[in-house]
Amino acid sequence: MSKKGLEAQRNYPLNKKVKEFFWGGWCMQACWNYERQMNTAFMWGISKTLDRLYPDPKEDEKKKEAYRRSLEFFNITPQCGSFVLGLTAAMEEKYVEKPDTFDPKMISEVKVALMGPLSGVGDSFFQGTVRVIAMSIGISLAKQGSILGPILAMLISFGVSFPITWYGGKLGYLKGQQYLVEISKRNLLDKIMYGCSIAGLMVIGGMVASLVPITTPLAYGKALKLQSILDGILPQMIPLCLTGIMFFLVKKGLKPIFIILSCFVVGIFLNYFGILAI
Amino acid sequence: MLLQSIFIGLVAVFMVLDSRLLGRLNFERPLITCTIVGLIMGDLKTGLLVGAQMEMVTLGMMIVGAGGIDMNLGSIVGCALVISTGANIETALAIATPMTLLNSLLTTVADLIRLKLCHQCDHYVEAGKYNLAKRVDILYGPITYAVFNFIPVFLAVYFGADLINSILAVVPKFILDGITLGANLISFFGFALLLSTMVNKKNVVFFFLGFVIAAYSGLNLTAVAIISIIFAIVVYQIKYSDSSELQTAGAQVDKLDD
Repeated sequence: MSKKGLEAQRNYPLNKKVKEFFWGGWCMQACWNYERQMNTAFMWGISKTLDRLYPDPKEDEKKKEAYRRSLEFFNITPQCGSFVLGLTAAMEEKYVEKPDTFDPKMISEVKVALMGPLSGVGDSFFQGTVRVIAMSIGISLAKQGSILGPILAMLISFGVSFPITWYGGKLGYLKGQQYLVEISKRNLLDKIMYGCSIAGLMVIGGMVASLVPITTPLAYGKALKLQSILDGILPQMIPLCLTGIMFFLVKKGLKPIFIILSCFVVGIFLNYFGILAI
Repeated sequence: MLLQSIFIGLVAVFMVLDSRLLGRLNFERPLITCTIVGLIMGDLKTGLLVGAQMEMVTLGMMIVGAGGIDMNLGSIVGCALVISTGANIETALAIATPMTLLNSLLTTVADLIRLKLCHQCDHYVEAGKYNLAKRVDILYGPITYAVFNFIPVFLAVYFGADLINSILAVVPKFILDGITLGANLISFFGFALLLSTMVNKKNVVFFFLGFVIAAYSGLNLTAVAIISIIFAIVVYQIKYSDSSELQTAGAQVDKLDD
């Protein structure tokens, strides 16, 4: 086997390679499908690496095999996708370097092994924590009529997403395998998820208390107002209770669309009889 | 109106491409898209308010894989129609809900097309036509998303205003007020959904901590967010202080720098 491709790949500037992994990660859902989910996007992300590694038309069978590998089932949080792409590129390189000792099955195995944990930590970090924090800040500003709300929400999301995708790709390519060992040895992903859940949950608590000021107009005469009694016990008690009720319904596994439609009906009822008001 | 509807349709294209080609930068969220709709229609204030309301309601509806319920498209339509009919902002949600249901039918068609595209990719690779396979993924895939989001939004915005106006004319006021209350109740469904993905017996105390801080102090959410990030780092450091140099979740980013 010729080493021409390997040389081309090694001499290609690192930043340009990382750029490929970066866009590969961000475009991870370009052609999402029910059969193998993000497989075609993974192929796109790794394709330039493969093209460089197998420049010779005589190696077409090897190249085809590598492309087939890249089209297997894949799913990941896009921002974590660059790490896997980088790591895969490094392994594909190794396979070209030592075709006799390096088993290409390992490439697929590592991909499969990374999917679950990285999606878990990625989704809870980006969709759970970052999104919740960015949007809660954005909502509270937008409610006051400030365009800073959406702008800040965009900046926060971009400011977190960009560096993680970029350096994730770089790290995956340069020291991916070494980091895999470290991450699993230290249980790092679980720890990060724990930290994220603390911040996320506190913000949700804050949202429940401050975003939707639902009160009750119920009163007995002029002196006895139910709302002021409730406020004396615990401010924002009604929003907390409503969240509790909804949580119970979610846990029961009711269909989202059923809950949404019921809310409208219940809202009309509660409003008509003056039980709750906004 | 035609031109405006086309622009709103393009907002929907921008919305869907955020998660397709930009790794989901949250630009798809109602808070952002409704603000843009407001800018296009010359009513930024309403755009912001509808965006904030829709965002609050749908924040919890995580879109993980194929599950969940996706109100992003409905929010754009709801916001545009609220501005063009002058209905109150909560009506946006009442418009977005049926829109979401209708759209899920269209999405199914798009999913079938992409299934075909996936097989096409296999086929091109087998034939050694690698560039064609790449084009299927990076060009045809996003086009299916763009087309299937542009068309429903354009049609709904272009033809929807009359429909909404005639509905608003006949529905009595107490029902409209009730819908406003109902839309706000749905926010709690959003919060509960969000909670259910993160909460367990051990960490539920942090939810109450955030609630109590905001309820008693009246601090705004920006303050609560900053406090909670600092608090998370402190707890993390106390809990895992002996383990390693990787001390905080935040430091992970810096660590990646080397």
